[in-house]
Amino acid sequence: MNPQVLTAMPEQIIYLVDDDEALRDSLIWLLESQGFKVKGYPSAEAFLPEIRPDMTGCLLLDVRMPGGMSGLELHDRLRASFCTLPVIFITGHGDVPMAVSALKKGAVDFIEKPFNDEALLRQVRQCLAQEEENRARRRQDAEVSRRLGQLTQREREVLDLIILGKLNKQIADVLGISIKTVEVHRARVMEKMGAQSLAELVQSVMAIEGVNRG
Amino acid sequence: MHDGRQMPKTDTSVAPAPVVSRVRSAWYWIVPYGAVLLFAFTMLTLAWVLQRQDAEAQRNALARDVQWAEQTMRLHMQGTEEFLAQLAREMAGGDLDRDAFQIRASQHIANNPELINVAWVAADQRVHWTAPFDTTDWLVGDPLSGVQAVVLARARSQGRPVYGEAYVNGRATPVLEVYVPIQQGRSTIGAMVAVYSLDRMMTHLVPTWFAEKYRLTFTQPRGEVLAINSAVNTVDENLSHAVQLEPPGNGLRLVATAYQTESPLMRLLPLALIAGLSLFVLWSLWLVRAHMQRRVRVERERDQLFNLSLDMLAILSLDGVFRRCNPAFERILGYPPEELPGRPIVDFLHPEDVAATIDELRGLASGAPATFETRCLCADGSYKWLVWSVNSVREEKLMYAVAHDITGRKSAEEALRAEYAFRKSMEESLITGLRAIDLTGRITYVNPAFCSMTGWSQEELVGSQAPFPYWPRDNREALQQTLALTLAGNAPSTGFEKRIRRKNGERMDARFYISPLIDAAGRQTGWMASVTDITEPKRIRAQLQVAHERFVVVLDGLDAAVYVADAASDEILFANRAFKSIYGFDAVGRRVGEFGLPTPPNTLWYDVDPRRLSPDDVPRELYDGELRNDHSERWYHIRERAIRWVDGRVVRMAIATDVTDRKRVDEENRAQQERLQRTSRLITMGEMASTLAHELNQPLGAIANYAMGCVNRLKSGEYRTEDILGAMQKASAQAERAGKIIRRVREFVKKSEPRRHPVSLAEVVEDAVGFMEVDVRRLGARVEVQVPLDLPPVFADGVMIEQVVLNLVKNGIEAMGDAPAEARVLLVEAGLNPEGQVQVSVTDRGHGLSEDARAKLFSPFYTTKSEGMGMGLNICRSIIEFHEGRLWVDPNPAGGCIFRFTLPLENLNESSSADSDA
Repeated sequence: MNPQVLTAMPEQIIYLVDDDEALRDSLIWLLESQGFKVKGYPSAEAFLPEIRPDMTGCLLLDVRMPGGMSGLELHDRLRASFCTLPVIFITGHGDVPMAVSALKKGAVDFIEKPFNDEALLRQVRQCLAQEEENRARRRQDAEVSRRLGQLTQREREVLDLIILGKLNKQIADVLGISIKTVEVHRARVMEKMGAQSLAELVQSVMAIEGVNRG
Repeated sequence: MHDGRQMPKTDTSVAPAPVVSRVRSAWYWIVPYGAVLLFAFTMLTLAWVLQRQDAEAQRNALARDVQWAEQTMRLHMQGTEEFLAQLAREMAGGDLDRDAFQIRASQHIANNPELINVAWVAADQRVHWTAPFDTTDWLVGDPLSGVQAVVLARARSQGRPVYGEAYVNGRATPVLEVYVPIQQGRSTIGAMVAVYSLDRMMTHLVPTWFAEKYRLTFTQPRGEVLAINSAVNTVDENLSHAVQLEPPGNGLRLVATAYQTESPLMRLLPLALIAGLSLFVLWSLWLVRAHMQRRVRVERERDQLFNLSLDMLAILSLDGVFRRCNPAFERILGYPPEELPGRPIVDFLHPEDVAATIDELRGLASGAPATFETRCLCADGSYKWLVWSVNSVREEKLMYAVAHDITGRKSAEEALRAEYAFRKSMEESLITGLRAIDLTGRITYVNPAFCSMTGWSQEELVGSQAPFPYWPRDNREALQQTLALTLAGNAPSTGFEKRIRRKNGERMDARFYISPLIDAAGRQTGWMASVTDITEPKRIRAQLQVAHERFVVVLDGLDAAVYVADAASDEILFANRAFKSIYGFDAVGRRVGEFGLPTPPNTLWYDVDPRRLSPDDVPRELYDGELRNDHSERWYHIRERAIRWVDGRVVRMAIATDVTDRKRVDEENRAQQERLQRTSRLITMGEMASTLAHELNQPLGAIANYAMGCVNRLKSGEYRTEDILGAMQKASAQAERAGKIIRRVREFVKKSEPRRHPVSLAEVVEDAVGFMEVDVRRLGARVEVQVPLDLPPVFADGVMIEQVVLNLVKNGIEAMGDAPAEARVLLVEAGLNPEGQVQVSVTDRGHGLSEDARAKLFSPFYTTKSEGMGMGLNICRSIIEFHEGRLWVDPNPAGGCIFRFTLPLENLNESSSADSDA
């Protein structure tokens, strides 16, 4: 939307966790050949210190890693750290039920070995695009929230009534103030919220209010 | 024994003395008696002689006196005769007138009081004159009586005075008349008469002393008494003398009888005195004799006492030298009694006692008796304890000593003292209170423990009666009742518990045990109560009880049987409910061996004999293992330890847990495990495929990635050759890796080839059927096995053949799932076939197979079961064919199928066995 915001966006990185070195190395080779930036980790434990809430990109995660933390566990740890990085599980033969339970917990997708490289690349691209969209929406919501926080108590009350579709007169009645005063508050709310129209105002507030109330 | 030897000797030495003295004393006693009798006789004779002499003298005196009295009377009478003759002469001379007569006669009468009348009697025999004037007799004119006249006549005739016979006149007066004739010339003119009163004669003619001395009587010749001068009859008739009163001569006699100046009694007095004295002397002699005899007896007794005394008796001089000792010295100390006199007592004393004894003896000098105990040397050198009682008599300068052997008593005393001290200390250290009451219920004794227990002092308690101070006020009736029971002897032998009051008001629970108090004589003098403070014990007991109950509840709640048995005697001391319910509720007290449980000497069970363990060696593990109870056919895990029991001895404590179920589960698990193992080879094949796939995925995936990476770079044209080269090398390495995996699989398959051994087919079949038991039961089927025991072993891989049988049995049972319950019988048979092979057939009565189905039955991936993999029969056939046998199926004529397979016998395959092993 806003070009400035896009340029400020951090670069998307594909994190790869797989205990099989050959597979990891060959995947990095393949993904880099398509221009992705890839970071490889031999185990879940090695990846743990990298976890940050503002990570962008996606995580390619092997479900079965004998002798250490499993892919599913790492996924739980990731969510527990409020990291919204989307996860694609790589599963072997017979690991399908495991992958299904991972999907239920919020993983984006899984891919079964042996996999077609085209399919993998398609899934990764799709995932990154989805991730970027989600991040932009979250950023906008954060902006509306910040602006809502700047409203005074009275302005907030007026805003709530506006969203309910009340006329200025009705608002004045409910709050026991004059229509003039309502109009002043209304103008200030519009200004503070940076909304050009009433529809824009309602939409932006509803988006985050809906999240908060849900 | 000692006494017995000495006593007879003492007897013989003493016995003769009394006999001799008795004989001698008998003779002694005749002499004084004889002397006394002789003396009495002499005295009596003497007295008699004297009395005779005295009587003679008296008689002589009497005669003389009487003669003298008669003479006196004669003189007086002669005087009167002369007076009368005078008168007569005067008268005859006529010189005499009447008046003169009267005067002279009266005068004469007055002078001679024995005369009462004087008269002149004329010849006419009448009284003419008379005197005295006042006479009432002889009145003038009175005629004479005849008698008188005779006398007158005689007087006239004779011419001399004549006395008439005495007679008693009218006045009762005995009179004597004298007639003196008056001669006038030749004629006679009458006579002068004088009348004597015989009474007066006696009173006036004898002197007073005479009359006092004698009784005088005038008696006529014929004996009658005319006059008597005294009425006193106390005369001595023996002393009497009579004389004729002359001159009257007409028989009148004067009799004098001496008065009894002394009574006959008096006369006999000396004799009586002598006799009495003699008797007295005899009596006193007798008394003296009796006394003497008593004395002798006493002395004899004293001698015997001295000689026979069991105590030692001795007489000592004041300086402590023996004077005399009795035989007891010999008996007790061993010294002959005759040896001791002359030796000082100090010689025989124990050196330690000398000083004290000398002190005592010195004290005796002051006269006070002394009693002391010393040790005395015996003849045999030992010492004996003696108690001496010594008394001194200073006048005699002697000491009399009695010594009593108290060696026994001393040791007894010593023992008693020790016993007493022991009891005392016991009593004082006793924490049990003792309280004695007499039969009336009065407290006679309490021990210190009782006092400290109750807080009341001994003084406060002893002597008190119910209610006792320690009775709480609120419980007196009950205690009174108990006391009454106690006194009646009905106190319970198990004692009774009562709550009593301490002095400070606290209550305490006490337990009383009552027993009768018996004195030395065996009489009951009261009741003894032992009192235990059970306040604390009671509380503890309650706690213990609770703890015990908890303990018992826990132990009884255990499924495991727990028992404790004495290590030595094997007796069961404790058993919990689980044990009792298994082995019987009378288990406690019986022997462990009776139940077939481990008992000590059995070295199968014990590596150490628990009977030899000392309490210091425990606790110690004795046995830990599983046993089967033959009665209940259940399995128990028994863990046995040697521990120290509550009373200190070593016991065996065993906990037997019923592990039948666990064992069954274990068994099933083991079977399961076995089944898994047996099927593992089959499963391994599947797993191998899966693992192979996964393992191969990695290198294959990597190769694909490297290749695609290269392709992409080469397409874009932006690449470096070295990078492409590196990736291709890596891909080549991954291809190698895949090759290694394939090789590994091959090796594995090679390793799992069958191993053939001689195998008993019966065992194989039994194992396989046993393995299926659970499934068989679940499906309500039955498996009949008919394998001859003498079937020779087959040469095969037992596990694989078992797998085949298992498969066939399983298929058969599952095929009969829809058959009626009674038809669900699977028959497993084995036997030799005509080709000399063992043939096994599994016959079911299931749904059977169509011709088509039978044809496809052994091809891979064919199955009639919904969950089947279709591998079973194919593998079975492969196994049997590997063993050079054959597996096929025939329809069962009775419905269902018959699966058969053959196996070669062992002896036919010895060579191939060797090959196989090689």
